[in-house]
Amino acid sequence: MAGLKTIIVLSFILAIGFLLVILSSALFKNYLTLLVVGTYVIAPLPNWLCGKAQSNDDFMDSGANGIAELGRFMTGFLVVMGIALPVVLAHCDQIRVEAMVMSIVGGLLIYGTIISFGMFFTEQEEF
Amino acid sequence: MEDHRLFRFPKPQWMNSANTRTGGVYAAGALFSIALFTLVDAATYSKSHKNGSDFHMNFVDWIPGIFSALGMIIINSIDKSRLSADNFSYSGDGVAWKARVILFMGFAAMAGGLAGGVTVMVLKYVVQDASWPALWFGVGNVVANGLVMLSSVVLWVSQNMEDDYTYNLAL
Repeated sequence: MAGLKTIIVLSFILAIGFLLVILSSALFKNYLTLLVVGTYVIAPLPNWLCGKAQSNDDFMDSGANGIAELGRFMTGFLVVMGIALPVVLAHCDQIRVEAMVMSIVGGLLIYGTIISFGMFFTEQEEF
Repeated sequence: MEDHRLFRFPKPQWMNSANTRTGGVYAAGALFSIALFTLVDAATYSKSHKNGSDFHMNFVDWIPGIFSALGMIIINSIDKSRLSADNFSYSGDGVAWKARVILFMGFAAMAGGLAGGVTVMVLKYVVQDASWPALWFGVGNVVANGLVMLSSVVLWVSQNMEDDYTYNLAL
C-alpha cells in the first residue's frame, strides 16, 4: 500500500520537475536549459555502473574500491554540474535569471525523484 | 591504538565512519566541478557580449588548469599502501621509491598549475590594468586552480580514512 502511494507521489514530483524545466525554456524561447535534464538523467549512471563493477569482497581488496570511488566522484561532479550550468549561462546572459532559478529547482526535483526511486527499489529487494 | 596517539586531542569518531568517507569522495567531485565551471564561466563571459573590454581568454588561460587536473589524476591514482611498501619484506625492490617519484611529479604539476594561475592573472590582467569584469578572468583562474587543489586534498584525506576504517574492521 505504501509503495503505491510513494510511486504516485514520486511521479507527481517528477512531472512538476519536468514542467518547471520545460517552462523555463519555452517561456523565454531559449532551449539551453534543457541541458539540465540531460545532466541529471546521466548523474546516477556512473554510480550505478561502478557499483556493478565493484567486487563483492570489499575488505580484502582495496583496488576494487577505487572503481566505486571513481563513480562517486563523477556523480558528485555531475550533480554540481546541473546547478553550475544554469548559473554560468545566466551569468553570461545566455538565459535569464528566472529561467536559471526554474531550471535549477526543476532539475533538483528530477534528481531527487530518481534518487529516492532507487532507494525505494533497493529497500524492496531486501524483503 | 589509543595509546600510540601523538596529539592531545583524539581523532573524532565520525572521521572513521564509512559515511564520512563516501561523503568526502562526493565532496571532492563537487569541488572539482565548481573549479571546472569557474573556468568555463570565465571563458564564456569573455566571449559574451557583456565583455566590453579588450581582454579575452585564450588557450594560455587554460594551461594552468590542465596541469592542475593532470596532477590531481596522478596523485589520486597511486595506491596509497605502496608508499610504505618498503617496510614490508614481501614487496619487490624500490616500489615505494617509484611511488614517491610519481607522487612528486603529481604534486609538482599541481603546484605548478596554481603558480601558473597566479602568473597568468598577474602578467595578463593585473599588470595591464584590467578593471573588474575583465579581472575576473584572472581571479577565476586562481580560484579554479585552488579548488582543484582543495578537491585533491579532500579526496586524499577520504582515501586515507578508508585505510583506518578497514584496519578497525580487521581488528
